[in-house]
Amino acid sequence: MSIEDKVKINKLPTGVPGLDEIVGGGLPEFSFNIIAGAPGSGKTTLAHQFVFANATPERPALYFTVLGESAIKMLRYQQQYTFFDPAKLPGSIRFINLSEVVLEKDLGAVLAEITKEVEKANPAVVVVDSFRTMVRKPESDMDLQSFIQRLALFLASWQATTFLIGEYAEEELRDNPIFTVADGLFWLRQTAERNSIVRKLQIIKLRGQDSVPGLHTFRITDAGVQAFSRTFGLKGHLKNPPSHRRLCFGIAELDKMLGGGVREGDSVLIAGSSGTGKSVLATQFIAEGIRQGEPGIVAVFEERPQAYAERATSLGLDLETPQKDGKLQILYLRPLDLSVDETMHSILDAVQKIGAKRLVIDSLAGFEMALSPGFRADFRESLYRMIFALTGIGVTILSTVEVDESFTEFPFSTYSISFLTDDIIRLRYVSIDGQLRKIMVVIKMRGGNHAKDIREYEITDQGVVILGKRLDNYQGLISGIPVHSDRPGTREEPSMDTGIEHKT
Amino acid sequence: MRELAHRLLTYEAGAGQSTEPMESPTLRVYEKLRQSLSAFAGVAAFEALAFRALTQAKSEAPGLWAVKVAAGGALQGLGQGVDEREPQIDKDKDMAGEFQPGEGGIILIARLLGLLGLFLGEALTLNLLRNAWPGAALDDHNSGNGRKA
Repeated sequence: MSIEDKVKINKLPTGVPGLDEIVGGGLPEFSFNIIAGAPGSGKTTLAHQFVFANATPERPALYFTVLGESAIKMLRYQQQYTFFDPAKLPGSIRFINLSEVVLEKDLGAVLAEITKEVEKANPAVVVVDSFRTMVRKPESDMDLQSFIQRLALFLASWQATTFLIGEYAEEELRDNPIFTVADGLFWLRQTAERNSIVRKLQIIKLRGQDSVPGLHTFRITDAGVQAFSRTFGLKGHLKNPPSHRRLCFGIAELDKMLGGGVREGDSVLIAGSSGTGKSVLATQFIAEGIRQGEPGIVAVFEERPQAYAERATSLGLDLETPQKDGKLQILYLRPLDLSVDETMHSILDAVQKIGAKRLVIDSLAGFEMALSPGFRADFRESLYRMIFALTGIGVTILSTVEVDESFTEFPFSTYSISFLTDDIIRLRYVSIDGQLRKIMVVIKMRGGNHAKDIREYEITDQGVVILGKRLDNYQGLISGIPVHSDRPGTREEPSMDTGIEHKT
Repeated sequence: MRELAHRLLTYEAGAGQSTEPMESPTLRVYEKLRQSLSAFAGVAAFEALAFRALTQAKSEAPGLWAVKVAAGGALQGLGQGVDEREPQIDKDKDMAGEFQPGEGGIILIARLLGLLGLFLGEALTLNLLRNAWPGAALDDHNSGNGRKA
């Protein structure tokens, strides 16, 4: 059978931002789906979003309520969401209560009632909320398996896309005929992790569709459910071909050390202890990009955008104007309870909005702290996914990371993430001539050659300034306690403070 | 909501002259609401709302003392109170004035609509009413007898 002969399954928009990507482009038309999860997990809201996105006066949605929440209360709360359009009720979306039939009759009568309403309305969408309460009745004339099969067949033949909503526990997945019959099974979870609540969605099955496997985080806001795909919405995006373009810092000596700058699409890590100038370098990188006509994003976690911009001003860098011109966005990602996927969503939105070429994440430690505790355990894996996704679309990422200064070791990062980065620039303090001075070295550049020099630098009101030539008259610089070549065997001697202040 | 209740009663008063002369406008409005809301939200939900509306209405119109919400939400006993004969609907007026003795039916319907508005909001309530009374002009203050111009 050629591909042209195969039946084409239309995909309906789910109405849930991010979910279309997860389900493989949209929900298969005429599919018979289950939304399962514990109370409060967002099942009804998800179904409402689908209904509002697809119901029309010609092909309305029938929303059958059974026992439990009455339509009046349900709509009272649901209309608080921004997707709720009261004009669609009752013309396009019709609520029908089946509680009397369920309470007083058997499943056969329930099926007859649904059949009658469906034949009358010719709906595109049918929802039964909650289906679980409908099949709780022990004394039913029709056995459950038969009821579900007949219901599924009937609704599919009437070309309706169906959602049955139920409060199920995961152990019920086995031996429940409803899960066997269903074409799609959406499982919503809500778990407490220390002081945080984390919501996750899983497509356990979806026939005929290439859905994204795994657990996807989601959030319920005043816009309803918003899902964050593990593929960050980049599934199917073409990877950018490798670029040979170099992106400069605007610090001539450093750019020389980097062989002309970092390669476009690289992931760069700047590691150093507190006060070594990681954020200053990052700011210069983003400011130089703007000078070169490359829009940028700065994701900050430890300070507010205004404070970040003001600090840049003190270095002679104007970040206010490019923000107004739409060339720069400083994202302050709300600390606590974030998921990496959610953070990525914000970053990607910004990247796409301004066509960003450079992204600064300042810092990884702040990023980790902003995450819900449950996500911190997966931080390395999450970073991998994030860096892979962003560099894949040609964004050059510069991340800063604080490392504990040690005078016996030279760690690149506390996260063991150096393998995720293409280029590493290490900043550190050294004790020279009775002063705590700063050195930098390019540790690694995946894209080519780089200088092996260890260079001294200062942070001035012009930003990072590299001083003189390489420090070739010291041994053991990276230990932090070097030995002067002309005075072998002697470590740095403490000297008296002369009282001279050094401008930094 | 009194105005809206008056509009519905006016509409049904007009309709009743030709179709169901034996049934009062209040009962016809109430029955339409019962059918529509029971299908939409369930009989139990309608019963609860109707019972609450009747309780509120009785405090304003003591003549409704004999009125009850029966099982299934049906209204019983309307018109049995001393002062609760069916309201005389002035078809030349769209606007309802202050409640007068004998206006228990209007009060009851107004209270029922008031509860709906409280829970669902005005927009959704009006949409439901438009669906139940497709021929009525529910928000057109200038139309006559509650009918669409």
